[in-house]
Amino acid sequence: MKKIPDRRGRFGIYGGRFAPETLMAPIEELQRAYFTIGKSSAFRKELDYYLSHYAGRPTPLYFAGNFSKHIGCRVYLKREDLAFTGSHKINNTLGQVLLAKKMGKTRVIAETGAGQHGVATATAAALLELECEIYMGEIDMQRQALNVYRMRLLGAKVNCVKTGSRTLKDAINEAMRDWIASFKNTHYVIGSVVGFHPFPEMVRNFQSVIGREAKKQILKLEKKLPDYLVACVGGGSNSLGLFYPFYSHTTVKFIGVEAAGRGINTEHHSATLCKGMPGVLHGSFSYVLQDDDGQIHPTHSISAGLDYPGTGPEHSYYKDTGRAEYYAATDRQALNAFFVLSKTEGIIPALESAHAIAYLIENRQRFRSDEIVIVCLSGRGDKDVAEVAKLEGVSL
Amino acid sequence: MTIQQRFDQLKKEKRSGLIAYITAGCPDLAFTQEFALRLQDAGVDFIEIGVPFSDPVADGPVLQQASQKALENRTNLRSILRLCDKLKKTLGIPYLLMTYFNPVFRYGLKNFARDCCENGVSGVIVPDLPFEESNDFRLELEKYGVEQILFLSSTTSTQRRKKILDAARGFIYYIAVCGVTGMREFLPEETYQDVATLRKNSKVPIAVGFGISNAEQVRRLKSCADAIIIGSFVMREIMAGNYQTLLETIKNFHNILEKE
Repeated sequence: MKKIPDRRGRFGIYGGRFAPETLMAPIEELQRAYFTIGKSSAFRKELDYYLSHYAGRPTPLYFAGNFSKHIGCRVYLKREDLAFTGSHKINNTLGQVLLAKKMGKTRVIAETGAGQHGVATATAAALLELECEIYMGEIDMQRQALNVYRMRLLGAKVNCVKTGSRTLKDAINEAMRDWIASFKNTHYVIGSVVGFHPFPEMVRNFQSVIGREAKKQILKLEKKLPDYLVACVGGGSNSLGLFYPFYSHTTVKFIGVEAAGRGINTEHHSATLCKGMPGVLHGSFSYVLQDDDGQIHPTHSISAGLDYPGTGPEHSYYKDTGRAEYYAATDRQALNAFFVLSKTEGIIPALESAHAIAYLIENRQRFRSDEIVIVCLSGRGDKDVAEVAKLEGVSL
Repeated sequence: MTIQQRFDQLKKEKRSGLIAYITAGCPDLAFTQEFALRLQDAGVDFIEIGVPFSDPVADGPVLQQASQKALENRTNLRSILRLCDKLKKTLGIPYLLMTYFNPVFRYGLKNFARDCCENGVSGVIVPDLPFEESNDFRLELEKYGVEQILFLSSTTSTQRRKKILDAARGFIYYIAVCGVTGMREFLPEETYQDVATLRKNSKVPIAVGFGISNAEQVRRLKSCADAIIIGSFVMREIMAGNYQTLLETIKNFHNILEKE
């Protein structure tokens, strides 16, 4: 199997390092640290310790019997919602913040959309005693107020981003601007498989614990590999974390589900891989939602974590090579999935993860009764309860 | 006029050059066209024309605001290249485009290089296209005789410095501060020393930008830099409507840049 990415951080034509000159030095420093310290057995051991004793890994692979009946195939949920802080984000932040500490950094910064990555970064920073600042769009701060408060409880400073669309994209812009000025003592904990090389590779590798565990678990439970892996895709870290360890098992089909918002044929969606064109955003060459002038499109999704006009370069590569299929679920379909999973399994999913669930509900005819589907339940839905209640017209 | 010709002239006049950045289309393109001439008359040696972008990660608040304003006016690369065609007939100094990479990529590298050439653009500055990623782009530009201006900063490693200096055309854009664009009262001391050293090892002139807005900085830079670049300061004054003060300051900078 050819190693991806290559040494220049390219997944086929995608990826690379489209960084302002000032950031080239810290990026090279990070690359050196990641491929020496980050790959050492001592580091792996320490990270594994925190992942199991602090973050509660391995997370269960749960056979969702009731929901399986509803769909008509064998559905397993990879329970990242049970990882500490309530989502898969902790896998990456423990890795990066530990690396930052080894690099001698005293401060970490991060962007956040739904707030899950912000909370996970603030948590790891509290644990490892680093200063922490989070950038979050003004709109996201409103719809994810609970997570804002959690970050503050954890000792992080939350900066409200009021530029541009005031969501995840703009939070990344601001975090990058901070990093350009602060890299001497600061590491930028990118929350997804996006950004300049080596971020997409590093974040994927930290998240691959999801797929490695799932593979072991399904082989033990079913004595065979699954037929499908299904996960939501915004930047794309939970999906790649699940997919990547199965990459060379070509019988295992990958399905990524983006946010179709109010509809994929409207202006209000975040379905980058379904509707975007290749371009450069936030440091790498990948699919991007953009207009004919190369300006980045505003996006919409009910879920703040998927509300992003770019995606990881590795997903672009999977799309073009046909390794993965990408679809999109609308706000309405995701919301329906949110209710269905809550009622059938007693599991309230994050609105992000509900997009993956929605794909199964909307396409149940695709799956045979003996087929095995693993869905990455990337996060828990508690953070979304207030927002969903509001949409339902219920005052809490 | 080519970039080199202008620097040759400056050498004869015993002056360091002045490069002024303006965001095209802020407040509108007619203004940009007219103001470029006034900047020239006030003593500017090169005009850097900014192409607005929705996500300018290397820019501070002033240039973000200018960019947004220009986008609201639907300014795009096509209309800016038309503006350049008009400047070709009226402007006597070289002008360059400063643009993030995605608008250029969307336009098509080849078409962009050709249209820059046809419309008299001498050089192109792309803040999110580092040397390592710019090979294809540079080759296209070279075919049409347009220079890609490369960046260098105090943090650039020795190894990369060598590569960048080897490949440099037109001039080197030296980033004076660790941070985004925007006015600073003081530049770090090491900037002055680094620029002086760099100049000895460079076959092309060194222009220093980011953070420059006052006479004291200009006075100190003139002895080590071949040119200085002012951007946020220019756009702040333009957006505030202080045209006269701006032009007077530029005249003053022009005078300071004369070497005794």
